[in-house]
Amino acid sequence: MTLPVHLRHDETFVLNLGPQHPATHGVLRVKLTMDGEYIVKAEPVLGYIHRMHEKLAEAGTYPQFMPNTARMDYLHALAFNHGYALAVEKAAGIEVPERAEYIRVITVELNRIASHLLWWAAFLLDLGGFTPLLYAFDDREQIIDLLERVTGSRLTYCYMRFGGVYNDIDDEFITGTRDFITRLRSRMPRMYHDLVTHNIILIKRIKDIGFISEEQCRRYGATGPVARGSGINYDVRKNEPYSVYQEFDFDVPVYSECDSMARYMVRMDEIEQSLRIIEQALDKLPDGPVMAKKVPKILKPGLGYHYSAVETARGSLGHMLVCNGDKNPYKLKLRSPTFSNLSLYGEVAEGMLLADALAFMGSLDLVIPEIDR
Amino acid sequence: MSVIESVKAAIEKVVPFSETVIPADPAGEGEEQQPDQVVHSAGAKEVDFAKTGCSLDVLCTAEQILDVAHALDGEQLFIESIAGVDWPKEDQIEVVYTFSHFQDSDVRVMVRLRVPRSEPKVPTISKVFSGADWHERETYDFYGVEFTDHPNLIRILLPEDADFYPLRKDYMP
Amino acid sequence: MESENVPSSIVQFAQLDKLLSLGRANSLWPMTFGLACCAIEMMCTGGSRYDISRFGAEVFRPSPRQSDVMIVAGTINKKLELAVKTLYDQMPEPKWVIAMGNCAISGGPFKVKENYNVVEGADKLFPVDVYIPGCPPRPEALLEGIMTLEEKITGTRRWPRV
Ligand code: SF4
Repeated sequence: MTLPVHLRHDETFVLNLGPQHPATHGVLRVKLTMDGEYIVKAEPVLGYIHRMHEKLAEAGTYPQFMPNTARMDYLHALAFNHGYALAVEKAAGIEVPERAEYIRVITVELNRIASHLLWWAAFLLDLGGFTPLLYAFDDREQIIDLLERVTGSRLTYCYMRFGGVYNDIDDEFITGTRDFITRLRSRMPRMYHDLVTHNIILIKRIKDIGFISEEQCRRYGATGPVARGSGINYDVRKNEPYSVYQEFDFDVPVYSECDSMARYMVRMDEIEQSLRIIEQALDKLPDGPVMAKKVPKILKPGLGYHYSAVETARGSLGHMLVCNGDKNPYKLKLRSPTFSNLSLYGEVAEGMLLADALAFMGSLDLVIPEIDR
Repeated sequence: MSVIESVKAAIEKVVPFSETVIPADPAGEGEEQQPDQVVHSAGAKEVDFAKTGCSLDVLCTAEQILDVAHALDGEQLFIESIAGVDWPKEDQIEVVYTFSHFQDSDVRVMVRLRVPRSEPKVPTISKVFSGADWHERETYDFYGVEFTDHPNLIRILLPEDADFYPLRKDYMP
Repeated sequence: MESENVPSSIVQFAQLDKLLSLGRANSLWPMTFGLACCAIEMMCTGGSRYDISRFGAEVFRPSPRQSDVMIVAGTINKKLELAVKTLYDQMPEPKWVIAMGNCAISGGPFKVKENYNVVEGADKLFPVDVYIPGCPPRPEALLEGIMTLEEKITGTRRWPRV
């Protein structure tokens, strides 16, 4: 597959991809050194949407940072809410009622499906198919309607509070979610798989393209579907169970082909697993309050380092919180999954055809504001 | 042997565990004598995962980080992140590395080291963990920590011509 | 030369100008330029539910040279500033700008005293015709913004207000 491009270094040129390019999903820039159609060197340039989240975390109080979390990874905003809430709860020692944790899991998983659907739409748009976008957005809007009902917003949620969630779910939400599960289950095989997954054009474009080895994942710290597409059975929900995930019976889809198709399949299977989790959570949903009593208005967690990891749609998200007993965080480090996932792009894209490199980039599922933070 | 134990043993070889004792203030009239404080000062120490989210807390010096990285690499850990923390009172910048494990559950090794604020120099570990490359550039970007021998230590998130380190505590635009 | 006395073109075609602006207003070609969160709502507007093509604005062009309205959907920061400006300059006249979301209006949630990297509003870089507030604005709001722009171009509002 790989031509000996390194033998013909004398005729290279630099191609600038982005920051405004339809295939980079936002404002990523990649500096490509090309030899004809082949890539000799690819160097992603970040920072075009750096929005100082870590500085803002230090500037405000603990609750004040919550809305910011949703603006980092706006596709899976609830997981960022969840991660931050868990980190602060861990530091301040706040107990969360069980019902609140169940609601958190339900909404986070719904949001994960929405995120994967949008990735699916955008990925296929990169590869030149416009129609799937309309189907995926149709289903995504159903999820957004459900979430809007409980959270109050469509995209940038600020739903979680330290000690619970802000709003209880009602019967209409529960019936709506059950209807949605049936609907998506019936649409998955016929629409998503028959129409797209088994499509020969898609298979030709992404099968055996973008090979990421297990060792590369480890050296670069890639997680999420990227790692699971390379045969690594790593999912924070299983490896470091948080919230109430250990109560549910679900599988972690792992494919060991290491190519873009494997990553595609991981995400498609994850949609089904998320549906399973939601269904079980709705069945087991306990009664009770959704907000812990006696959460202090002004939080002042004691001295120390606290790390909390959650699994977002793109991988393991870490919040490292350094507290010094003050009312605002002393330091909040955000370990964003795509930052690490993208860092292997340069190494893998070497020797690829330009068109393949773009398909490969799409398969990494990039959300640029989350990389730049 | 569990991963945590073997990691601990591997780190013990490069950074021996030690503790310092901070004597408590002598008790005043009618007060109870406080026990002396024992502070972890070097090497690997097991901490409560449920409370802190880490299983091993490692303290080392900037010179030892490369050996620590090799030891962790040998145990098949993957790099999660590198962060800086500014401590202007102590006149130090702390660099915090976190590593985790793909197979074993509840493993997180947090390696911390401190360098003087006026001359923050740390050897790079990007030769061991390639992913550290970008994380180190980010720490350089935010805190001005210079990673010696880094192949490409330039600004990553801020514009190339920026001349400030925004996450240092004394920075105000 | 006294520029005030010179008409914009020597020969004026009042009726033709009207016709042209009617055509332009009803087939605005926006530029695909998603910056951040607001861009997702822009995509939703293009999706089947909100269906921006009802108003003739569905032809999202990736190239500035083929588009006549730039929807600034997201945060502009110091590093990107130059690129956005270049894109604006590359668009052919007549051109319009919609600032979508609080970030593009004023810096939004990032207009704080610690701000070291975010440009506080697209209007610091080039003239903006329509502002759509929200974080992010709902797709309906973007549609209303497009209708407002149509009104600005033709001078009359074609769609009733709801
Ligand atoms: S206005 Fe709000 S939603 Fe829009 S880009 Fe800015 S932060 Fe994101």
